[in-house]
Amino acid sequence: MAPVTFFHCIPRDTLLHRMDARLKLLCLVLLSVAVSFAVAPAHYLAALCAVMAALFTAELPLPALLKDMKIFGVIIAIVLVVDAFSIPGPPIPNFPVPGVSLPGVVTGLRFAGRLTIIIMACAVMTGTTSLLTFKNVVEWYLRPVPFIPEARVAMMINLTFVFIPLIFDQYVEMMSAQKARCADLRKNPIRRISFIVLPLLSRTLRRTDEIVYAMEARCYSETRTRPRFKTHPADWLILAAAAAALVFILYYPCA
Amino acid sequence: MPVLETQNLTHIFPDGTAAIQDISLRINAGEFIVIAGANGSGKTVFIRHLNGLLVPTSGRVLIDGEPIGKNITAARQKIGLIFQDSDSQIVGQTVAEDVAFGPENLNLPREEVERIVPEALAAVGLSDLAAQSPHTLSGGQKRKLAVAGILAMRPEIIIFDEPFTGLDYPGVVQVLRQIVQLHQAGHTIVVITHELEKVLAHADRLAIFCRGRLAENGAPENIVIRAENYGIRLPLRHGGTVGELTWLR
Repeated sequence: MAPVTFFHCIPRDTLLHRMDARLKLLCLVLLSVAVSFAVAPAHYLAALCAVMAALFTAELPLPALLKDMKIFGVIIAIVLVVDAFSIPGPPIPNFPVPGVSLPGVVTGLRFAGRLTIIIMACAVMTGTTSLLTFKNVVEWYLRPVPFIPEARVAMMINLTFVFIPLIFDQYVEMMSAQKARCADLRKNPIRRISFIVLPLLSRTLRRTDEIVYAMEARCYSETRTRPRFKTHPADWLILAAAAAALVFILYYPCA
Repeated sequence: MPVLETQNLTHIFPDGTAAIQDISLRINAGEFIVIAGANGSGKTVFIRHLNGLLVPTSGRVLIDGEPIGKNITAARQKIGLIFQDSDSQIVGQTVAEDVAFGPENLNLPREEVERIVPEALAAVGLSDLAAQSPHTLSGGQKRKLAVAGILAMRPEIIIFDEPFTGLDYPGVVQVLRQIVQLHQAGHTIVVITHELEKVLAHADRLAIFCRGRLAENGAPENIVIRAENYGIRLPLRHGGTVGELTWLR
């Protein structure tokens, strides 16, 4: 798979890496809510400062993250264009493209700003939290929710992350095997896809059977040893800062 | 009394295919037994009954004289099963996390899990790779990880299903050395394989399966000469002995 910095944990020994992941997730939620209410430039500036401070504290590689942001740049650009043309209002004076409204561009830019800040905050979360810890946090938050088997949900998340690379490797291997037999000369794309999808599905299902047996053999149970979390005083301060950002955005005048 | 015993074990698949038929086998504590057979001879189906993963159509499996179904969790803890495909056995995102999977399933206290995991990793020589992703390991290291995952559950009997499949020479030697060390440490070892030349020198007993039945069972030097009758390569050269087969120097 291509090396992507986004959504991959980058091991470091920083305040945010050591932070209790339950509070870290709560900070992410607070910041995301705050950003979704942002209207005035001061709101965006406050949220951006918070995220940038987190990025630098976590010692995450900013250039690599910005490079990976290109993937989201396409989505943001599409939304910006759609808003610019679809939201009614007075046009931008002397703008060379007809049909672009000023309120449309402003709304699109606001959305782009919100999305960029939220994506960067997510990158901080995933860049400083291992998947195992993330799984444990999900399990911890789901525990009080009735009718949801939190251990099963957490195990499903875990297995998904474990098996995606394996399935991808299998896909690459099958593609190569089919190319070796000139499958790429087939003109019908549906036939070509079926040559890959059906065997891949069949192998994945067989592997699923194997994993079920392997888990049973190791006494799989949903009554498992629970994860342990450590909360430091600094974690509460970070949470308070995220809450302060939310309060600032909610109550600071818009205009 | 044997530590593990099957009595007239038969497994018939829903389509009517008899995978194993009427297999009675006794395995004694501390023994090293090799079960050989050609592809489709029923070896894998047989060992999956020993861990309670499959329920027999008829017959039974006894652990210390008690039926396996009496306490299936205790049985699975006592009998560690290492699968042929290590990738399918790995469920953790790091080596240490994968080893912790079994003890966590047993709901052991967190402190105990944290003590057991490094011990199991040290036993197979993977301590330095504890934080690494399992999928970056070599074939031999993955088998070792599978062994560590089982050792962390403190089993008495360890069953290896085709442990040498897909390994290069150093990988085979690594895994074989591990198996021999486990036997020397007092574990009862069951190895399923058709590659007798790699392991037979270390075995106390050889059993051969043929078309779902137990065809031969006895001392390796007495049985091995008939291996080719059952579709298994005869590992001995003319005049050679079983003891000379070892890959460990």
